[in-house]
Amino acid sequence: MDDARRERLAMWLRAAAGDASLAVTAMARLSGGAIQQNWAVDVVRDGAAEAWVLRTDNAATLAVSHGRAAEFALLRAAFAAGVTVPEPLFLCTDAQVIGAPFFVMRRVGGIAAGHRVVKSDTLGGGREACARALGRELARIHTIRPPRADLAFLGDPPGDPGAAFIAGQRAALDRQRLPHPALEWGLRALEREPLPPVAPVLCHNDFRTGNIMLDTAGVTAVLDWEFAGWGDPHADLGWLCARCWRFGNVSQEAGGIGPRGALYEGYAEVSGHPPEHARVLWWELAAHLRWAVIALDQAERHLSGVEPSLELALTGHLVPELEWQVLAMAEARAHA
Amino acid sequence: MRELPCGADLLAIAREVLLAELLPHLPEDKVLAARMVANAMGIAAREAAQDPGWIADARARMATLTGDAAEPLRAFATAIRAGAFDPGTPRHAEAAALLGEITRARVTVSAPRALGKG
Repeated sequence: MDDARRERLAMWLRAAAGDASLAVTAMARLSGGAIQQNWAVDVVRDGAAEAWVLRTDNAATLAVSHGRAAEFALLRAAFAAGVTVPEPLFLCTDAQVIGAPFFVMRRVGGIAAGHRVVKSDTLGGGREACARALGRELARIHTIRPPRADLAFLGDPPGDPGAAFIAGQRAALDRQRLPHPALEWGLRALEREPLPPVAPVLCHNDFRTGNIMLDTAGVTAVLDWEFAGWGDPHADLGWLCARCWRFGNVSQEAGGIGPRGALYEGYAEVSGHPPEHARVLWWELAAHLRWAVIALDQAERHLSGVEPSLELALTGHLVPELEWQVLAMAEARAHA
Repeated sequence: MRELPCGADLLAIAREVLLAELLPHLPEDKVLAARMVANAMGIAAREAAQDPGWIADARARMATLTGDAAEPLRAFATAIRAGAFDPGTPRHAEAAALLGEITRARVTVSAPRALGKG
């Protein structure tokens, strides 16, 4: 970010924060890839130091820049519902300030990286306490229900989230260069056992180890809201518990972090009722199917030459193991 | 007639050099990339070492199951989606066994650890 942009940013922040003397004391690029940029921004506001994060898109990806406004709205809704998210502060939809729309939120500390989290017995306050806390977080997210004018960009809730899932995955498979009979096998297994209707709620849709920041006291932030949408609350529980998201620590069924029972208990503490286990299992098989299809799409970005990348190429090689799990889970369902 | 050592052997030994000799000297921010390179070399080596005979065998069995010899993989996937091999159908067990075998062959290359190997 050049000096002119930094100066325009400082002016914009002064107006947004209502402090004409606000000073930006430091800015440093945090992370991000081809699409997003995250910046650590240190400011002095009303005489006190504050630590913020600025999230924006690379100028080249302006076509998807409405994503930041949507993400800001989701963070606000989650924050208001008591979900542990970084407090969203200001949204700037004017691309002229720093070259693309952006928003600013408070900076929180913690560790998210899945392989580190599942090895720790102390993060999140310990395995049992952490699984319980994750249950409470999910239940709070699920208190957000349609209709919501502030979340109108999410569209109408699906009448039957399970059927919509199956249809969506089949459409995605039809776009692939090769058929995937094992994934078809899993989808068909789900289709044979349709889920009864459920009142739709806001689903995070990527609530898993790796996207949840922890310190030794507990959850510090639920991150990555870009896939959120209306759906079956059990879909989030299934995604978190799916074996493919336990980062190798498969005996801790809640995301490789802690026991499933503690997760369900934490969920019930807030929602007033425990999740339906059979329904969570349906969505766990669905989770493997969804992750496999995402992996196929990511590999396709490499294969098509659009984005040559070793990481994307290797993602394609996750698919056989996911299919192996799909077959085992479908078999287990057939004999249940 | 090809020169020895073969491609799979070269990949395996090159991977060993990468992991044992180069990786410890790489800066922290290059370790992940080096591990990905090692992973890719491992996959390529296992693929090169695998007898590809299972592919023709699987296609033939899919053709028998579906009656479509031109595009057996697509026909098999389409038939599964339509419920033609659901539990209780005459060829369910045969289709399930075939799926298990072709998936195992692919996992052996891509992620042998999932089978308790490598």
